[in-house]
Amino acid sequence: MRLSILIPALLAANTVFAADRTVTDDAGRSVTVPEDPQRIVVLHEPALGVPIADLGLAPVGSYGRDDDGGTLMAVDFYDVILGPRAPDPMPKGIGVLGNIDLEKLRALNPDLIIGTEYDKDKTELFSAIAPIYLQNSSTGLVRGFGPTKALAGLLGREEEFQVRKADYLARLDRVRSELPFDPEGRTYLALFLTDQVNAVGEMSGAVQAIEDLGYKRLELDKVGAISGFGSTLLVPISPEIVGRLDPDLLIVMSTFTAKERGEAAIQAALTRIVPGWERFLKPAREGRILYLDSAQVTTPSIASAEKTLDAFEAWSGR
Amino acid sequence: MRLGRATDGKPVLRLKTGLQIRLGNLGAAGFLGLLAVVVTAVALGVGATRLGIWDLPGILTGGSLSGEQAFALWSVRLPRALIGFMAGWLVAMTGAMLQSLARNPLADPGLFGLSQGSMLMIMLLIVFMPDAPKEAIPLAALAGGLCVAFLLIWLVGGSHSSGLAILLMGIAVETVLSSISSLLILYTPNETSYALSDWLAGSLFQASWTGIAALAPWFLLSLPAAFLIGRALRCYDLGNEMALALGEPIRWSRPAILVIAVLLSSASVTAVGPLIFLGVMAPHLAGFLSPSTGRVRLILSGLTGGILVVGADSLTRGLGGEVALPIGLSLTLLGVPLFIISLRLRALRNMQTD
Repeated sequence: MRLSILIPALLAANTVFAADRTVTDDAGRSVTVPEDPQRIVVLHEPALGVPIADLGLAPVGSYGRDDDGGTLMAVDFYDVILGPRAPDPMPKGIGVLGNIDLEKLRALNPDLIIGTEYDKDKTELFSAIAPIYLQNSSTGLVRGFGPTKALAGLLGREEEFQVRKADYLARLDRVRSELPFDPEGRTYLALFLTDQVNAVGEMSGAVQAIEDLGYKRLELDKVGAISGFGSTLLVPISPEIVGRLDPDLLIVMSTFTAKERGEAAIQAALTRIVPGWERFLKPAREGRILYLDSAQVTTPSIASAEKTLDAFEAWSGR
Repeated sequence: MRLGRATDGKPVLRLKTGLQIRLGNLGAAGFLGLLAVVVTAVALGVGATRLGIWDLPGILTGGSLSGEQAFALWSVRLPRALIGFMAGWLVAMTGAMLQSLARNPLADPGLFGLSQGSMLMIMLLIVFMPDAPKEAIPLAALAGGLCVAFLLIWLVGGSHSSGLAILLMGIAVETVLSSISSLLILYTPNETSYALSDWLAGSLFQASWTGIAALAPWFLLSLPAAFLIGRALRCYDLGNEMALALGEPIRWSRPAILVIAVLLSSASVTAVGPLIFLGVMAPHLAGFLSPSTGRVRLILSGLTGGILVVGADSLTRGLGGEVALPIGLSLTLLGVPLFIISLRLRALRNMQTD
């Protein structure tokens, strides 16, 4: 090959490599990612897409959306949590739920794919399209909006994270000062209702906000309430134990697949699973119960933590 | 090589080696081979990227492809078609083997519990050893299938058993293993159970050239296996006593065939998950097209199984819309109507004969 062709080609290649950096993802894999990724595809909308969009970076593709960017899930998390700050245009889909289309993924021309620890089996396939970074998202592995901080570091958005966190902390101080009591040291328990009662784990903006207010988690292990394995967000608890639980603050939310997620709908859902709860559940009798919209508060984003503070503000104002 | 007639008067092609093939079977094999090519061509033309079936001749004659088209063809569609064909071939061939062995047209790797054994072992590996290397999965599948096979042989008393006894015991073992699988799905973390459920529905999503390299040896092994055990299966079709009278060493050939069935079935389960009902459906459809026994039945069943899976995958990718269509479901949508039509036509033919 002529040097006149080879040298510019090599220089160009070096330019590309200079804009990349090698990082280790949460699965312990070494991944070369772009310094400033612009075309990100996320494989989990609430756990990854919302935190990234919260940092002001709109993913181009998001699992659970159609070709036009409409949601295929029960809730449009970007819209519900971020409101006017939601990506515009919305990220496009990469195939129907449960059936990722590699051709659609490739057509989005991503420069970085971000998945959770549950996408380990897809790394080989997706690496042929773009580098894939695995970010832990499960309770037990991450806390509060920790994933947002980790993603900010990965995507070079530390400044945006610090600005958002400063706003959040200012808001936190205001809400704490408005509460009629000092929550420091009081216990809380957050319940998530599906077809059973689950305790919300350590991952979510809600948990971050509640614990930053000063509450501490009621330790379920000590009362023998854990019943089964957990997931990214939840740990099932025995319905027999529910009636005996007496945290200083009981938080209840229903599944985000439910059409109605307001206070009345949550109470109806609780009645279906634990009939008569309003009579024997002490926090309910004493007005120490707070209802939250799970779709708004369960992502590991600062925005979800702020939505939780909104709910506290409204609750303390009653 | 010369043309002749079999004892029932049907034309056969006699080879110098002594082998003879019915012309009807040869025609059916040719038809299925051609159909396999057509179905594969259709499969290569279905997908989100603009690359239709009519572009393929141009590509074969040296036409160039854009990056997206090359990715769609070489990294997605071709691997899916090849793995789908091989997996379908193996399951259908295993079904045909087990049907002869059990002398029961309902026998298939699923009904015998062989697939469940492989699946359960893979699930246990995924749940309890999530960091185990990928290479351990085929070994787990093989171990699970072999455990079930040896358990069946031991439970039914080896060579003294009848085909019906193996079938009934297989159903019992399969039921127990299915219950354990359900328990695992129910009590594993949500994400793991979703992943397991996806895999249990059967999927070609993970199809890759690495997967092809892993499955191809088993596919190639099935060809000499069909040649070697074909005669024995013809004897088993006539029953244990007749097989013994014909000199079939059933003491070792029955377990040997069962082990071969496990090997082929495990390879398929590892690659694409279970392909429910294919082991029953494909041999029946092949038999409807051209009645056969032994080696020819195995080959025709294999071809039919491969065609059905490639066709089902095209359906999955082409008609998916906004709802995921697992390969198991599209296989049912495609194969079961054909299965019902073939049974109905066979019934009508029998009524006319009577």
